[in-house]
This record gives sequence, structure tokens and C-alpha cells, in this order.
Amino acid sequence: MLTGQASTLPETNSPIGFLLVLAIALPAGGVALSLLLGGRGAQRLAMATMPLGVAVALVVAGNIWRSGRSLTYLVGGWHPPLGIALRADGLSAVMLLTTAVVIGAVCLYARGSFGLPAGADERRAPLVFWIMLMGVWSGLNAVWLAGDLFSLYVALELLTFSAVPLVSLDGSAATLEAALRYLLFALIGSVLYLLGTALLYGGYGTLDLVLLSHVIKPEPTAFIAASLMTAGLLAKTALFPLHLWLPPAHAGAPAGGSALLSALVVKGSFILTVRLWFEAMPSLLHLGTSQLLGALGAAAVLFGSVLALRQARLKLMIAYSTIAQIGYLFFLFPLASAPAEATSMFGDDWNGIAWTGGMMQLVAHATAKAAMFMAAGLIAEALGHDRIAEFAGLGRALPVTMLAFGLGGMSLMGLPPSGGFVAKAMLLVAAMAEGQWWWAVVILVGGLLAAGYMFRVFAPALAAVDVTMRRRVVVPQSRQAVVLALAICAMLLGLMPLRPSQLLEVGRPASVTALTR
Amino acid sequence: MLLACLSGRWRASMSRGLVVAPLPALGAALFASGASLKLPPLLLGFALLLDTPAALLLGAASLLWVGAGWYADAWLRDRPDPGRFTVWWLLTLTGSIGVFMAADLAGFYLMFTLVSLAAYGLVIDGGTLEVRRIGLIYVAFAILGEAFLLLAFVMLVVAAPGVHTMIREAVAALPTSPLRNATLVLLVLGFGVKLGLVPLQSWMPLTYRAAPIPAAVVLSGAGVKAGVVGLLHFLPFHAAWPGWGETLTTIGLISAFYGVVAGIAQSNPKAVLGYSSISQMGVITAVLGIGLGSGNEGVALLVACYAVNHTLVKGGLFVAVGVAQADAGRRMWSLLLPATVLALGLGGLPLTGGWLAKLAVKPVLGSGVVGLLGSLSSAGTTLLMIHFLVRLAAVPAACPARSMLAVLRLTWLGLALASVVVPWIVVVTLLPGALTNAVSLGSLAEAGWPVLVGGLLAAALSPWRHRMVGWDRADAIVLRTTDTAARLGCEIGKSTEKLDLLLRRWPVAAILLLNLAALLAALMLVTG
Repeated sequence: MLTGQASTLPETNSPIGFLLVLAIALPAGGVALSLLLGGRGAQRLAMATMPLGVAVALVVAGNIWRSGRSLTYLVGGWHPPLGIALRADGLSAVMLLTTAVVIGAVCLYARGSFGLPAGADERRAPLVFWIMLMGVWSGLNAVWLAGDLFSLYVALELLTFSAVPLVSLDGSAATLEAALRYLLFALIGSVLYLLGTALLYGGYGTLDLVLLSHVIKPEPTAFIAASLMTAGLLAKTALFPLHLWLPPAHAGAPAGGSALLSALVVKGSFILTVRLWFEAMPSLLHLGTSQLLGALGAAAVLFGSVLALRQARLKLMIAYSTIAQIGYLFFLFPLASAPAEATSMFGDDWNGIAWTGGMMQLVAHATAKAAMFMAAGLIAEALGHDRIAEFAGLGRALPVTMLAFGLGGMSLMGLPPSGGFVAKAMLLVAAMAEGQWWWAVVILVGGLLAAGYMFRVFAPALAAVDVTMRRRVVVPQSRQAVVLALAICAMLLGLMPLRPSQLLEVGRPASVTALTR
Repeated sequence: MLLACLSGRWRASMSRGLVVAPLPALGAALFASGASLKLPPLLLGFALLLDTPAALLLGAASLLWVGAGWYADAWLRDRPDPGRFTVWWLLTLTGSIGVFMAADLAGFYLMFTLVSLAAYGLVIDGGTLEVRRIGLIYVAFAILGEAFLLLAFVMLVVAAPGVHTMIREAVAALPTSPLRNATLVLLVLGFGVKLGLVPLQSWMPLTYRAAPIPAAVVLSGAGVKAGVVGLLHFLPFHAAWPGWGETLTTIGLISAFYGVVAGIAQSNPKAVLGYSSISQMGVITAVLGIGLGSGNEGVALLVACYAVNHTLVKGGLFVAVGVAQADAGRRMWSLLLPATVLALGLGGLPLTGGWLAKLAVKPVLGSGVVGLLGSLSSAGTTLLMIHFLVRLAAVPAACPARSMLAVLRLTWLGLALASVVVPWIVVVTLLPGALTNAVSLGSLAEAGWPVLVGGLLAAALSPWRHRMVGWDRADAIVLRTTDTAARLGCEIGKSTEKLDLLLRRWPVAAILLLNLAALLAALMLVTG
């Protein structure tokens, strides 16, 4: 059950495998149609696609959950290495669901900022926003499902090119510069990734993840390909010290866009890195590499948190906090690949716990951070600025928004009961059990720093003031409710038991398990 | 049972409810001792368990919360924004009550976090710059303690077979854990912050001095006991740990004497009480250390008896400060007479609750060096308490509303009465043996001499008292250290910002990217 169908070649189509195509094609079709229909149509289309996409994600995840088996769809009926296989394991299911939930929330939220009231003239920004929203969705789903390195490259490009325009929607010089910066750096990353892919294809004649894992050998070609691809992916993930593009891009985008970029887009290249190391080339993942990736993650946690503490503007603070939270994800590499002798002391599936913890961190951060960015957007709309120092009395002016922001912050700090707590607790436990206590120290210090930067927002916002705040705009309750609902999702994740999750077990890379036993 | 508690507590969002809110907990303490309950997964699957020592602590704490709630209600009436204080109050209350009952690690951690961090909202209610600064120091210490505990809990989870989360199972597995020593050190550090053990004590007098009186009442009386119950539940008393026990006893005794020495140099009666808390928690820790050294599980009950007395007396004495501030000197006898009994009782004045408490722990301390030091600390406490009474009498009085004064005085007398009566009831029902041994002339004299010595010392020192006040610069040192730390933090932040600017320049980022790829390849070539 653990390894599922993915490792048993030749594969056949799963009965509902066509849904995997639908998950990608539905939003992609939306993009194409929107170009024909124009602004108002694009919004309607996006709103119509949203429930369908959520339903597809639910059915796929439900099926994998119930059957405990991965889903496969061979496009055109051709088998790899000739054809393209779409595969959905437990990890894909979790990511499909997360994407659907976050995008659904962003759709509902963005109706307020990019919705066109009846009779209003159509503008460029809303059209671009709705099209790119669907583009991002399609790209993400393709990243979660694609089964070979070239399809993954195409998916990643679709994702990047959909994400970049979201940064510069307001068309100002600053955001255009931020978008260009993002685009250029992502392109350098793509070039490195493509170079690595070409090397692998030349060396082994296949790019299919499963086939590759059977034939790959520890030799210079594979080493160089792996390092080029990893470096390229890290550039797209904005892992410290390659984060130059992230703060201006994530802070400059409109709130809904920032939520997408921060919650989901950077996770695309991260998941690809995980699949590359744990699925395609597990035999290459050695102590040195995994510790290096973990160390970069640790540096990101400390560096991002300290800088988040020093930001004067709320959106920049959240952006730097994203850099820190991305860092936690990379603890997955050292903690889920511990050799058997390190985990034997306490005899349990610690690699599996770290695996679940890392993915949990991803999902918890996605929901919490999206909620926080959207809350920050509402605050900026209501006040006309997002300077933290002038937040006095905000708690009274926007109680629901501040509650959502606070719940998201609780998850970032890792306070119970929240998804962030469960994730960090699992990583901590795995770190201690595997004798890699240094990651545990970084996780704790990161939590303290997160408490620090959340405190900086809350101290003025909750302070008692005599003057009531002057609000520029009254923010509708419905949008506040959407943000709160998403933050509550992040909280509900905290109800997960602290053990390897059943859904994530489906098709968990054999490497994570094999190394334990 | 707890459902009723929770809903009762939360519905009471008006300050009126502050008195009623802790009542379910009081009921639980009286009737549900020994009960356990596993909540459905919807409520996070928290498990509750109330053993006798915890029930004692819970009972005393909820009694104090009731009294303090009444006080706080009256105190809030003439304040502009009572809702905020009320919310923090209820959150702290939830944590303070819950920590005695939590049976699983996650639940305990959540409750401990609540009682520690929500109290920040109570402390900073004064709102001045100085108070905010002290509030930050409090939060810094609280979070430090949380970090120690979280790491310790993680180690407990790791060491327990499977991924259990019950405190009892985790502690039962502790002696065989490879991480045993580290876990124990972290546990003592984490709870030591809460208890104000030297050298983690500096937040305590500062916080009590800065907090509004109702907040100081509950924090000093009930809040600190989260640390006591933590040590009771998490230290492995089922086996003997001689080295650990002695270390803990030493730490406890150092704290006991440090509190006295530093306390008599204070002029603010609230700060004096803060230092006295350090001293009293030191005594408790010393007793627990002896229990840990000899593997004596019975010590938990004795410590709980001692802590019950401290809860009520310390809370009561803070109320006394409130009364002194409010009462313009007309009926001083109704203040000073019970205050004298309570204060000296803390030092062990015969027939008071404090005397009973000392009786309870006396057999554990024994008659050797530790016993002598224990008696000396009683003498020191007496000295400190006489100093407190002098400072209390000198408190300048303001003139508040009449209704508030009446409530204050009733709360005060009620708590004073409770702090004498409750320990008697507890000891008579739970430790009848200790009592029959005690009521003899010899033991009365034995218990009396530290009080006498303390009194004589106080009399002897009184000519120099005004000179001693202000000796202690501990507070100033703490404040200066935090300033330095803040400056250092600023410097780190600034240099990190500079680093960020450097890293975010194109050439640097591009070079780093390529170097990273090269480094990865090199690493694999070397190790692969």
C-alpha cells in the first residue's frame, strides 16, 4: 500500500484517471476562453471554474484516501518513456486540495478588488488578474501531477509566466521592476533546470521519475545534473540566499496575488525539488547534500525572521516571514532521509514523521499566509496604508480581520492548536529522535522570532486608544469572513494527530521508508 | 464537567462574571478529585485528570480567583475600558485552571502557554512606558521558559514508546530515556522560570510591582502554581535520583535565601512580596528536591499543602496592599491585624496556616543541615514579612469610591479568613497524623523559634532599615541588561539588513546561485 502503483511498471490507467487531466485542463481552458470573452466574462468564468476545480480536487483526494492507492493516467495511452504519465499520490492529493482551498478563497476575496460592478467599464487589471489566476491554478495542478521532468519543466514555466504578471497589476514603475526582477531570476533558474534535464536525458534516455529512479547511478553526469536542477529550483523557491526577487514581488502584488504567490507558487518548485531528490534520484541524496539544504533552510529561518522583525510595512514583514517559513520546509531533506542507524535509538518511523511534518508545514503555511496577506490587503484598503507603527486601535476598527491575522500568526509562531504547531512539533520530534538537535534549536528560535514580529503588529493594534481610527473605506463583512475562514482552516489543521498521515502515506517515496528499515 | 466549566467561563464575558467564572473549577476541586475525562477529538482530544495534590492546588487557586474576581470587578468599574482587561483575565484564568487538570502533553503546554502569555495583558494594564518595558521583560522570560519546556516535551514524546502524549506515560518512560539528563535540565529550567528560581527570578518582583493589584493577586497566588504543578507532574518521583535531588534542593535553598536578602532592601511592598514569592518557591523546590533524591512520591501531597497556604496568603497580602492604598487610614486595625497574622504565618507562626504548612514539609526537610537551613529560611521569611508590614503601613492612601472600598475590605477579610481556615481543613482531612504529633509544647516551641529569631533580627536591624532600602540594585541591573540586549538586537538587525541589501544585488545573487550549484556538485562528488 505504501509504495502504491507508481513504482509498478508497466502501469495502466486508473478508472477515474481522466480527472487528473481535467484538473489541469479545466483552468487552462478557462484561460483560453477568457481571452475571447474579455474582462467581465473572465471573472464569471473564473467563478464558474472555481467550484468545478474544487470538486475535482475533492474527488481525486477522496478516491486516493479511500482506496489507499495512487492514480495514474497515461496521456494518449502511450507508456513512458514515450508517453506522458500523470500520477497522483498522497502528496499530490494534499497539494490539489490545498491549492483548491486557497484559490477558492482568493477568488471570493478578489471579487471585492477585481470584480466589475454592473455597468462599469472594463479595465486591463481585472482581466489579467482573473486569467493569471486560472493560469496559476493550471500550472500548479500540472506540477502536482506531472510524472516526468520535462512535463514538470513546462508546468513550472506555465506557473512562472502566470505568476509574474500578478506582481505588476497596478502598473507602477516599482512593481514593474519587481516583476522583471522575478522574471529574470526565474528564467536563470529555468535555464539551469533545463540544462540538468538535458544532461539526464543524454545520460539515461528517460525523464520519467519512476524509470529514472531505476536507472540512475551515482556518477558525475548525475551529480552535475542534480546540482544544476536543484540550484535552479532553489532560485525559483527563493531559498536564502537566492531570495532577491521575493520581497519586492510579494509585497508589491495586490493582496490576492500576494496570497497566491506566497502560499502556493513558491511551493511548486519546492515540491519539484522534493520529487527530484526523494523520487527520481534517492540514491544520490547523501548526508552532505541533505545537511547543506537543511543549513540553507536554517539560515533562511533566522535571516528571514530577523528581517521581518525590522520591516516598517506590514506586507514587507509578511514577505520576509515567507522567506523564513520556506526555510522550515528544507528541514525535510535532512530529517526525512536519516539513515537507519540514526533512527534506531527510539525505534519509530521518524523519517515518516518528518515527511508528514514537512508537508504539514507546507499546507499550514499556505493557508495561514494566504489569510495573512489577504488580511493585510483589507487593512491597507481600510487605512490607506500599511505602516505598522500607525496601527493603533486597529483591533477595534477591524476585529474580524485582526482575528484572522492573529490566527494565521499563531500558526506561524507554532502555538497550539494550529497547523503550524503540529508541523513544527513533528519536525522537532523527528530532529530530536534522529539526534539532529541543531535543527530543533533553529525551529525554536524561529518560533520566538515569529512571536516577536507578530507581537510588533499586535501591540499597537490591540492597545487601548481614546480616539477611534479614521477609516478610508468600509470593508465589507463578506470579504473579512473569507479571510477568517481560511485562517480557521489553518487552525483546524492543528487537530491532526502527531503521526504520519494516512493520506500522505499513499505513494510516499520508497526512499523515505526504505532508509528507515 | 469541564464543558460546563468552559461554557460557564466564556459566557461570563462581562466583568460581572469574573466572580462566578472560577466557581465550576472550585466545584471540580471539591468533588472531582481523582476523576479523569477524555474529551472527544473535536475538542482536540485533550484528556483531563485531577489527582489529590492537583485538586488541592486547583481548589486554592480557584478560591483565590473568586476573591480576586470580585476585587477586579469593583476595580474595573471606574476604568474606561474594562472589556480588554476582562478578556485577558478570562484567558489567564482558563490557563491557570486548566494547567492543574491537563493530563496530556499538548493540553498542558497549551494551558501553560495561556496562563503565562495571557497574563501579559493583565500586567501592562497600567499603560505607562515603564510598565510596558516591564511587560516586555515578563514576556521575554515567559517565552524563554516556554522554549525550554517545548524542547523538554519534545524529548519526552521522543522517548516514550510510540507517539504517546499522556504526561504520566511519558514521565514513566523518562528514567530509561537516552535523553534523560537533557530532558530533566530543560524541565527544571522551564518551570524554574515560572517559579522564579535563582538565576531566572528577575522578572518576578518587577512584574508584581508593575501589575495592577488584582492581576498581581492572581499571578502571585495562582499563576505561579502552574510551575509547582508542573514540577509535581513531570519530575519522576517514582525512582530515586540522588544527584538530581541534591541539585534541586540547593537551587531551592539559594532562592529561598536570595529572596529574603534582596527583599528586605525593597521599599515597595509589592516588590517585597515578589521577593518573598521567590523565597517561598525556593522552599517548595528544595522539598521537591529531597523527594526526588529519595524517590518519595508522598512529597507531592505535602508540597501541595504548603502551596495551598502560599496561594491564599500571598494573594491575600496583595489584596492588603490594595486596601492600604484605598483606605485613608481610618480603620487600620482591620487591615494590619489580619495582615500581621498572615504575614507572620508565612514564616510559621504557630497555629496559623503557615505553621501547618511548615509542619507538613518539616519531616521531609529532616533535622540535618537541610532542616536547619529550612528553619533559618523561616526566620528569614519572618524578617522579610515584618519588613513588608512596615512598608505596608507606610503606603500612601488615595481616596476611591466607597463601594469599592467595601468590596475591597470584604475580599480582604474573606481571603484572610480562608487562608487560616482552609489549611486547617486540608491538614485535618488529609494529614491527621502530622497534626497529632505537632500539638505538643515541644514542637510548638520548635516551630516558634524561627519566628522569634526573625522577629529579633527585625528589631535589631530596624535602626538601619532606612539605609538598607535601596541597597539592592537587582532591578536596575535587569533593566540595564535588557536595554543592552535590545541595543545588541538592534545592531544584529541592522547588520542583517546590510547583508540583505548585499545579497539582493544582482551580481551577488547570480554568483551565489552558480556557486551553490558548484558546491552541491562538489559535495556529491566527494561523498558519493
